Amino acid sequence: MNMRPTGMRWATLAASVASISAILLLGLSGWFLTAAALAGASGVTAALAFNYLIPSAAIRLFALLRTGSRYGERLLSHRAALRAMADLRSDLFRKLAAQDGRTAPSLSGGDASARLLGDIDALEDLVIRQPARFAALIAAATSIALVAFAGWQAALALTVMLAILPLLLRLLAGRLTREPAQAAADALGALRTQFVEYAAARPEIAAYGLAERVAARLEATSATLDAARKGLFVGEGVLAAIMLAYGGATVALVLALATGPAPVVALALLAAAAAVEAMAGLSRTALKRASVDAAVHRLDAIADTAPPRPQAPAEAMTPARVRLGKIRLRPGARIAVIGESGSGKTILLETLAGLRNAPLDITVDHLSPARWSATQLRAHFALAAQDAPMLAGTIADNLRLARAGVTKDDMWQALHTACLDTRVASAPAGLDTILGEAGGILSGGERKRLSLARALLAGRPWLLLDEPTEGLDAATESVVIARLGAWLDATATGLILVSHRAMPLTLADQRIAIGDIVSSEPDAQPDTDHQRIKMDPHILRADRRCIEPRRRADLDIFGVDVDKESLRNIDIDPGLRRPAETV
Amino acid sequence: MFDVLGAALFAFGIASAVGHLAGGAAPGITAYLAILLGTLMRAGTIIAVHRVAIDAAQASSAALRGRLIPQLLGGVLPRPILAGESATFAIDHVAAIEASNARFAPVRLHAALGPVLVMAIVAAVSWVAALIMLLTLLPFVLGMILAGSAARQASERQLAALSALSGLFVDRLRNLALIHHFGAEERVARQVSAATRAVADRTVLVLRAAFLSGAVLEFFAALAVALIAVYCGFSLLGLLPFPAPETLTLTSAFFVLAMAPEFYLPMRRLAAAYHEKQLGEAATAALATIAPEQPVAARPTGMFTGLHVASLRLDWPGVTIGPIALTLGLRDLVVLTGPTGSGKTSVLAAIAGQCALSGGSVATANGCALDPADIAWAAQRALLLPGTLADNIALAAPHATPEMIRAVADRVGLGALLRDRCEGLNLQIDHRGSGLSGGERRRIGLARAILSGRPLLLCDEPTADLDGDSAAEIRALLLDLSRERCLLVATHDRVLAAAARLVVAL
Repeated sequence: MNMRPTGMRWATLAASVASISAILLLGLSGWFLTAAALAGASGVTAALAFNYLIPSAAIRLFALLRTGSRYGERLLSHRAALRAMADLRSDLFRKLAAQDGRTAPSLSGGDASARLLGDIDALEDLVIRQPARFAALIAAATSIALVAFAGWQAALALTVMLAILPLLLRLLAGRLTREPAQAAADALGALRTQFVEYAAARPEIAAYGLAERVAARLEATSATLDAARKGLFVGEGVLAAIMLAYGGATVALVLALATGPAPVVALALLAAAAAVEAMAGLSRTALKRASVDAAVHRLDAIADTAPPRPQAPAEAMTPARVRLGKIRLRPGARIAVIGESGSGKTILLETLAGLRNAPLDITVDHLSPARWSATQLRAHFALAAQDAPMLAGTIADNLRLARAGVTKDDMWQALHTACLDTRVASAPAGLDTILGEAGGILSGGERKRLSLARALLAGRPWLLLDEPTEGLDAATESVVIARLGAWLDATATGLILVSHRAMPLTLADQRIAIGDIVSSEPDAQPDTDHQRIKMDPHILRADRRCIEPRRRADLDIFGVDVDKESLRNIDIDPGLRRPAETV
Repeated sequence: MFDVLGAALFAFGIASAVGHLAGGAAPGITAYLAILLGTLMRAGTIIAVHRVAIDAAQASSAALRGRLIPQLLGGVLPRPILAGESATFAIDHVAAIEASNARFAPVRLHAALGPVLVMAIVAAVSWVAALIMLLTLLPFVLGMILAGSAARQASERQLAALSALSGLFVDRLRNLALIHHFGAEERVARQVSAATRAVADRTVLVLRAAFLSGAVLEFFAALAVALIAVYCGFSLLGLLPFPAPETLTLTSAFFVLAMAPEFYLPMRRLAAAYHEKQLGEAATAALATIAPEQPVAARPTGMFTGLHVASLRLDWPGVTIGPIALTLGLRDLVVLTGPTGSGKTSVLAAIAGQCALSGGSVATANGCALDPADIAWAAQRALLLPGTLADNIALAAPHATPEMIRAVADRVGLGALLRDRCEGLNLQIDHRGSGLSGGERRRIGLARAILSGRPLLLCDEPTADLDGDSAAEIRALLLDLSRERCLLVATHDRVLAAAARLVVAL
């Protein structure tokens, strides 16, 4: 990880000038006062002979320098840090995006992404403070040089005291704050988990008037958190107090060891006091050390371990041939997958789309999907997912996601096919309407159609549709299906469809029961050496639940549905099947 | 207060040491004592202030939590709040306010008193030096007002820009699967990169103004030291260009010089804690948005005679639900259906009086207000409190006998669970419901609702995610219940919908 962003040099220079001027301003003032007093005491001639112009001008100069360079330091270090963090963010994003979504840890949960952001913030703080750390060392060197005028014993004593200081700081910070910091983090995590659990049960708590009782349950964890936070805060105070006392002792030590004329001792005393103060300014870094270290470690892990994925050609050379169970599909074929809710239909589509690995009896170009990289799979399939995920941004942003070089005309055409063009045209901002988090102004049905339009725009040889018309009225539904049928004809795109409703099923010219894909016997084909587990739908469902609890809400939740009841009795008509392809 | 006194003692220590040295004598024991005692006094003050401040801050945040958590978990909210967002209110915002109280409040007091005290102490030694401090203070205050208000606006804009950027970053990370699927990694990465760059550059412009107030502070602090040093120096030389208003000794001059930086120190500390104050204010403002609504002159509650909902409308930023009209009899089954995210749960919550209506009314059949004690709620994922299974079933009916609890457990189909576990009704349950299946948890919620004996039962997705047999059992139970009380069920289940007297689509 690059911790020395460009532009930091100037910030460091400014910080050094600032801390040197601060020490010289005080030290020189002390020397000037004392020397002036001695000269004044020795009579008018001595006073007149005393060169006051240079020191008094220097004092004013240092006052200005300190102001200017401190401003420069803050501005420059923030600029360098902000730019470095901007680069780090996009860099991290690139690296995370390069991971295979099927095997990489999920960042979709709030915790993972929030922690990543927290880590970046911690690092930013560290980078901003970097010049100050260097400047503290410069300040220490300057003051040692100044104290050296008062004899080597004093200078040596100051050197020793300043050298011990960072070690002492680290030791104390660890001792005083590590334990409460850990306890606070643990208690915070526990409190959040507990609270979220209760907040999700809010309707019941409110209905039965249990709020006070539940609040009392949370009180114990809150108290632990409070105690840990108090320990941390008081620990910070104790550390600051020790640093102050250390400064006092150092000044006293320098005073005891200083030799030479009074003005030089005055200079030495003030310089020593200022140096300890500058070094103690590092205590904030020391306090945050543990958390920053952990953050750097985690970010480094992401930066180092993310393997660059081999970039396969994004466009499919030839449309893939797909086998679902015993049915082999030529490019351009249209099939509906039917089966009960929770029996794995969505999982099938997600596996084909390269979003997950599930042990299913399917092949793409004669190989199990797991044998293809996600990049290779997605060159063949465009998915309009059941939950119709949307980026926070405009409608155009979401459509542009489909592929590079989508024009406005393309967008309007796709929206027309999805029957969403009039709705978008009627919005004041048109294509630039902002969706906001989770789709914002669009209704559930409209989001689904936007997701459909996006999948159409991707121009892949196979379209994967998961409940494309859920939430639509019958009239709109029939228009969507008619236009979609025409679009499929015109583009010769294949279709793999999952739907509970009768209308979309008319698009498909054959049907397969999900059971024939999930639980059929693994046949002895050369390409099936990939481990395939025989699974019944219930196990598959349980598996899905424990792997990805967040998706529970996304699962289709029709317990049983009327259309399907009738469908279940329809066997796949062998006459509809296309002739089996040879392997 | 003691901080300033400690500083004065320290300043006196080194001043007297230098005075002695200049006079050719060794610094006395008093000098050493003053230096050490002065710093110890300051150190003690810091620890004491930290202790007092955190105690006060935690006391007030505990009181805040005491009001906030019952409101978040059981009060009437102006808009629906997701569980995660609710946790942000209850935990993060409260922590921000606590930090602001612990860090900013004490330094604000000190910033008001500290400079006055320093000036008073300095004035006792040299009134001219005190005057110099006062004179630098006036343009300082003016400069701070000018630079400060610009800086505040600037830093508020900066905070907003940064949080928007974080939002973008998080959103794109969450949607990584989607971005993957369309092969848009590089395009989105370029977008993230351009946005972060733009925000960084804009922030730097903003910071130029924001740091100006810091520079003003720094400038006057340095100026005060420089002016005092020069004045004292010329005064000691006897070369002042005007008649000397007072006579200074080296010791007193040095003391004044050492005290000069203390004058601006409290204000510098204040500036350092300013960020905490901003975050605290932002948190307070956010909490104000979910403050309990003033109840509109409530109609008298009456006995439950059936439910009458007229043109109920819910209007929140980005969401519009309704208008909905419903009339339910004393013994009835009505299903509320609609796609995921269409607001079924919100409508149930509004009927239960848990969030504010944007329009319309909810009443009993004869026009009285609903008594909250007449409404039972069976959730998709039932609340569990640490305790026994019996405790959890009887949450809404504390006086239920074990026999009643067992009967209702059998009725909702928990009999198998009771037989399988030797503890029976004494089965210990934690708040996560470890060891219970989703279906068992749902049944506990239903048992609780039935046992409460309340005439109106609101059910949220009673059959979702259940296997076919369990769903059929629950459907049968609901039909059975609808012959003895009034049921309003939000569901996707078409079989259940087919059995209902009325289906209302959202």
